[in-house]
Amino acid sequence: MAHVPPARHLLRAKDLADARYAEPLEVDDLARAAGLSKAHFSREFRRAFGDSPHAYLLTRRLERAAALLRTTDHSVADVCLSVGLRSIGSFTTSFTRAFGVSPTAYRAEHPPAASQALVPGCVVRAYARPQHRTFREDKAPTPT
Amino acid sequence: MIRIANAQLWVHDQEEALAFYTQKVGMEVRADVTLPEMDGFRWLTVAPPGQEDVSIVLMTIPQAPVMDGETAEQVRTLMAKGFAGTVFLTTDDCQASYEELKGRGVEFSEAPEERPYGIDSGFRDPSGNSIRLTEVKLPAGV
Repeated sequence: MAHVPPARHLLRAKDLADARYAEPLEVDDLARAAGLSKAHFSREFRRAFGDSPHAYLLTRRLERAAALLRTTDHSVADVCLSVGLRSIGSFTTSFTRAFGVSPTAYRAEHPPAASQALVPGCVVRAYARPQHRTFREDKAPTPT
Repeated sequence: MIRIANAQLWVHDQEEALAFYTQKVGMEVRADVTLPEMDGFRWLTVAPPGQEDVSIVLMTIPQAPVMDGETAEQVRTLMAKGFAGTVFLTTDDCQASYEELKGRGVEFSEAPEERPYGIDSGFRDPSGNSIRLTEVKLPAGV
């Protein structure tokens, strides 16, 4: 087996953040995945990837939260929880710092999620067909 | 007519890569030839069963004089950081392929997810190379 460069272990930690951001994952867990002490890990991770592991995990969560705000109609609180963050208050603060607008404003800036839903053609045909109207519809129904 | 025949991927260790791509990803060996007259160079290629005319070359990082030590170390580091390359695989059923590979011990960094172009997922080989596994579903008219 060839010698494995230390960065390969750091990449394992980065991949863990990308794969399991939705879980209550912390820098300690990432350090464990890399097999390094927390302080040493944070320093090495930053040297390899340019961000501290804390910042990487947080921005991964914010990126995923932004995607959920664009593509779902889940509440801001649900979005926060489903990307592994537990405090709505600090989520709103970090989101606003990262994207320049609050989660609610960010969602309002994007087309509503419903417009992107790839609803099957049969559903569209069934539900979008307008009610039949005649030019005389405002008048009392004519006896048939 | 120009066609793609092989594309090369650096790997840390050819045995490890071979085991991964054949036993876990389910590819087959297309060529495995060692040339003693070329300092033991091993030409090793794998490809998915059923796709006959294209394969991935699993290439070990050369030593000097082919590649100087400093450059080799840079390539090793880039690969370990996950920035040395990506292979884009497609499947007709991303979820099924995901389950299959996961069952064989592949650790995914991205589970299947809806994207505008289909359903996409991703994992890494032992060297750190990024592998996408995508079920392409372009919207009608594209």
